[in-house]
Amino acid sequence: MRTLLRVLSPLLGLVVAALGAFVAVEVVNAWVRPAAGALVLPWPAWQATLQGWAWSAAPVRLIAAGLSVGALLLVVLALRAGRREVRLINPAPAITVTTSPRSLARLVAHQVRELDHVAAASVTATPRKVSVRAASREPADTATPDIAATVHTLLSELPLAHTPQVSVVVRNTEIPA
Amino acid sequence: MTGPATTAARKATARAAGAQRTLVGLIGVLGLGAGVAALVVGSGLLGADRAARPVLDPVALNTLSAHQSLARAAAVAAGVALLVAGLIWAARAIKPEHRPNLLLDPRSTSRLEISASAIADALRADAETIPGVNRVRARTVGRTATPVLRLTLWLEDGANVRDVYHDLDTGVLTRARDSLGIESLPAAIRLELDAATPARVT
Repeated sequence: MRTLLRVLSPLLGLVVAALGAFVAVEVVNAWVRPAAGALVLPWPAWQATLQGWAWSAAPVRLIAAGLSVGALLLVVLALRAGRREVRLINPAPAITVTTSPRSLARLVAHQVRELDHVAAASVTATPRKVSVRAASREPADTATPDIAATVHTLLSELPLAHTPQVSVVVRNTEIPA
Repeated sequence: MTGPATTAARKATARAAGAQRTLVGLIGVLGLGAGVAALVVGSGLLGADRAARPVLDPVALNTLSAHQSLARAAAVAAGVALLVAGLIWAARAIKPEHRPNLLLDPRSTSRLEISASAIADALRADAETIPGVNRVRARTVGRTATPVLRLTLWLEDGANVRDVYHDLDTGVLTRARDSLGIESLPAAIRLELDAATPARVT
């Protein structure tokens, strides 16, 4: 999300600048040379079209709906482009230490896959919650506490500022006899 | 404890994006408002006769014609303002992050400055000697008056994070402070846990 914001933000700035330049140039042109017509874009034709369309016309509604959806995506992007980081304990007042949720998930997944009975595991992590989905050769009711204990041990060894909740979902790979 | 140095370090964990988020969000809110307003008018919620009026209303056009010079001047001024604001926005968004040099003893008459790249190279070389650390990226960020060190450490599988912590705090950062002769060097450290040895570009 943050990368997308970094790409989109200067482009939007350029769009705003281009819009401003277009308005200024066309208005000055129409003012100074009233008979010359449009300079860059055929805005008199757009004017005629907009005079012909009522607010309830289908094209107006479609454009308005498209604008709303696009603008909503921008709002979502702006809201979700915050920092994604897991805070660790600060070793000294002026030193902050963080890690990425992805990196924490990778570490947990690695540890869970080391267990003998685990065939596969996928992990997602946020600063508040670590979710493990694992496939085990053991029944879920014995595998789940084992995996949860492993994850808890690992998390307690890390100097995390807040210990996240752990959720484990186990799927049994053995076909019942 | 949250002193100014702590706040500076806290902010430096990643490049600031607040202004960009605000601007993109503002454009989104304006667009959403305009789009929804158009839909509301078109659906006839503000009256069926309003919905049947043309988008470019003759009444509005007549008003503009009545004050033509004023309308034109306002349009040109708005256009120029948008042009300037848009260009400043784009330029700020593209500009690389500032990497301040370190100014030692700013009270003295002589000026002693250490370049950002020199500090970064020295710290990177030092931090890469910590056991369990694969690769390090170091840079100075923040304002010239309050520089902050941003260190990214890629730790290898099974590295003991607490040992790395200890070596960083009592080793690398203490040595840096001592050799630069400064009392405080705020630092934002980012750890990439369990990172495979990265492929070096040759």
